Amino acid sequence: MSTAETPLKRVAYYKGCLASLSAKELDTSTQALAPQVGLELVELESVTCCGAGDIHEAEPDYYVHLNARILAYAEATGCDTLMTVCNVCTLNLRQANFMLQGDSDLLARVNENLTTVGVPPYSGKVDVRHFLWEIAEGEGYERLKGAAHKGLKGLKVAPFYGCQILRPSKLMGFEDPDRPWSLERIIEACGGESIDYPAKIKCCGFPIIAAREETALGEVIQPIEQAMEAGADVMVTPCPLCHLSLDAWQQKLEASTGRAFGLPILHLAQLVGVAAGLEEAELKFKRHIVDPRPALERLEV
Amino acid sequence: MKVALKIWRYDSATGDRALKEYEIDAPDWATLLDCLDIVKDRHDGSLSFRKSCRMMICGSCGMRMDGAAVLACKTRMYDIAQAGRVPVISAMGNLPILKDLVVDMDPFWSKFKAMWPWLEPGYDRPEDGREYRISQQRMNVVHKESLCINCGCCVSECNAMESDPEFLGPQALAKGMRFVGDPRDAATVERLERYNSEHGVWDCTRCYFCNERCPKGVDPRDAIAKLGAESIRLGIDRDMGAKHAKWFVRSSETTGWLREEELIPKTQGYVSAIKQLKFGYSLAKHGKVRPVPIPHTAKDVNEARNLRKLVREQDRGGALGHVQGEHALAKLEHGHAGESLEEIYARPGAAPRPWLPEVEEEPSA
Repeated sequence: MSTAETPLKRVAYYKGCLASLSAKELDTSTQALAPQVGLELVELESVTCCGAGDIHEAEPDYYVHLNARILAYAEATGCDTLMTVCNVCTLNLRQANFMLQGDSDLLARVNENLTTVGVPPYSGKVDVRHFLWEIAEGEGYERLKGAAHKGLKGLKVAPFYGCQILRPSKLMGFEDPDRPWSLERIIEACGGESIDYPAKIKCCGFPIIAAREETALGEVIQPIEQAMEAGADVMVTPCPLCHLSLDAWQQKLEASTGRAFGLPILHLAQLVGVAAGLEEAELKFKRHIVDPRPALERLEV
Repeated sequence: MKVALKIWRYDSATGDRALKEYEIDAPDWATLLDCLDIVKDRHDGSLSFRKSCRMMICGSCGMRMDGAAVLACKTRMYDIAQAGRVPVISAMGNLPILKDLVVDMDPFWSKFKAMWPWLEPGYDRPEDGREYRISQQRMNVVHKESLCINCGCCVSECNAMESDPEFLGPQALAKGMRFVGDPRDAATVERLERYNSEHGVWDCTRCYFCNERCPKGVDPRDAIAKLGAESIRLGIDRDMGAKHAKWFVRSSETTGWLREEELIPKTQGYVSAIKQLKFGYSLAKHGKVRPVPIPHTAKDVNEARNLRKLVREQDRGGALGHVQGEHALAKLEHGHAGESLEEIYARPGAAPRPWLPEVEEEPSA
């Protein structure tokens, strides 16, 4: 059980690109919520983009080094855990981490390169974990139940996982990629009702939305359509890229199909934040394209 | 043991579709394929499914169990039956169903053929008439891709292909990498040009379903990433997907963080991006993008820049950058990340360590 005396868990906090800029609301809500769910965030300064799968594809050797550099700075904070708030950062960092942990020759070569350019070497001992995992079980979950005192008053919430927190499951290892449970558990702990629909584990199309918009839109429509048919008031996702795709590109879906969707998409920290009584200054719903406030106000959440 | 199954029956001639339940007696060691054989032999001879080798090598018996593509001959039923689960068996996705669990593989094979799935020999035969030998190290580049048995489990689940049926898809592209990475092949550039077509390498949406489902550990998504890396290494980068990827590289070494506002014009070109102005305005209104992007620069970003410069001199460009990580990632599949082989074979009850040939050296040229 959570007790007030249990100290906060210190984690190295890696925001990633989106939470630094287009999804600042994810950063502010995560920072505001963290102490309530037992986390002390140590923000990383000397870090860059993880490469978002694009550097992995274009220049894989550079990708390993860039991510090793992030891991090295995370280790330098003295924290055992690097916490992410984005699926894509999670996959890129975990993958690079496993490559380095499982191959001492590669780790040695990368460390030699890191030290040449003035980066501290990396031992291979940091664990990369998503915020979702921190609050879906253990101490974080116990604290979450206490923090979510305002509840969601039966709000119907569609969980949308996104791909790169479920697959490849050998790199993730947190839950069954076909029958995940973590978001549902959190929604219910916050007093919401979780909605089930098949596309919750499928792709939001974001990685190809700039280069293959039509193909991507054929993917985005599935969760939105299915969640609305199942009666969702809002959708929640642990990934800011899924969020951008589902929230910002919804207007393009409306234009191409001639239908009105208007499904509000919440970041995970915002959904829990509503239940925990965070204010608009931290939640920043005004930054969403589809404003979640009417749906929340309707239920007096 | 008693095994219960629900099977989606379908007849494309009549369009009839029905979910039928069967309960059978099967030996404890039975696979899904064994169970289907029992259904067909003893309960309902009209059930159609493909099979041949029964040992995970012919690739005939791909189908879905509870919505996930599996090889029927690799899927043991004991735990499922013990748990009292009644799995739903259906045909693979992304391919037209002919009857019951049999899909039309023609679209699959036409994409496969589009890859030129043969070697275009481009090597000098040794003068002494002996065979042309390649080191293990050079074949490691295509080791995983060579394991493909063309079963279609990856194609069944491909999210990009669901949306764009013309997408070459994970199986065909993994096959393409099998030849691009083969040191004996002379058509690397022509192949990459071909695979960089509109429905090729850069259509992959990175859903990772292919890696998750592949019953042979091919990891098709990683093969596609190898093709992307080889394309960019050889300057085949006219596709918007390649430009998109290169912009991340450029951002990481200039400001450290992704220069988001410039991503769409850098991907689509400034002229095409004008069409996105209205959309861009809607994002700007909510603070998602800024009208004047002031670079948001990470501390010590020069380290990232120097790191890139340094590694580019180290001869691990293109697909080799992916291959170097495969050794470690393969350990995860066998549940022993972080342990050395010595530690694994020292585990209580471990099997004796098999004899392995010494690491082969490059044959002298």
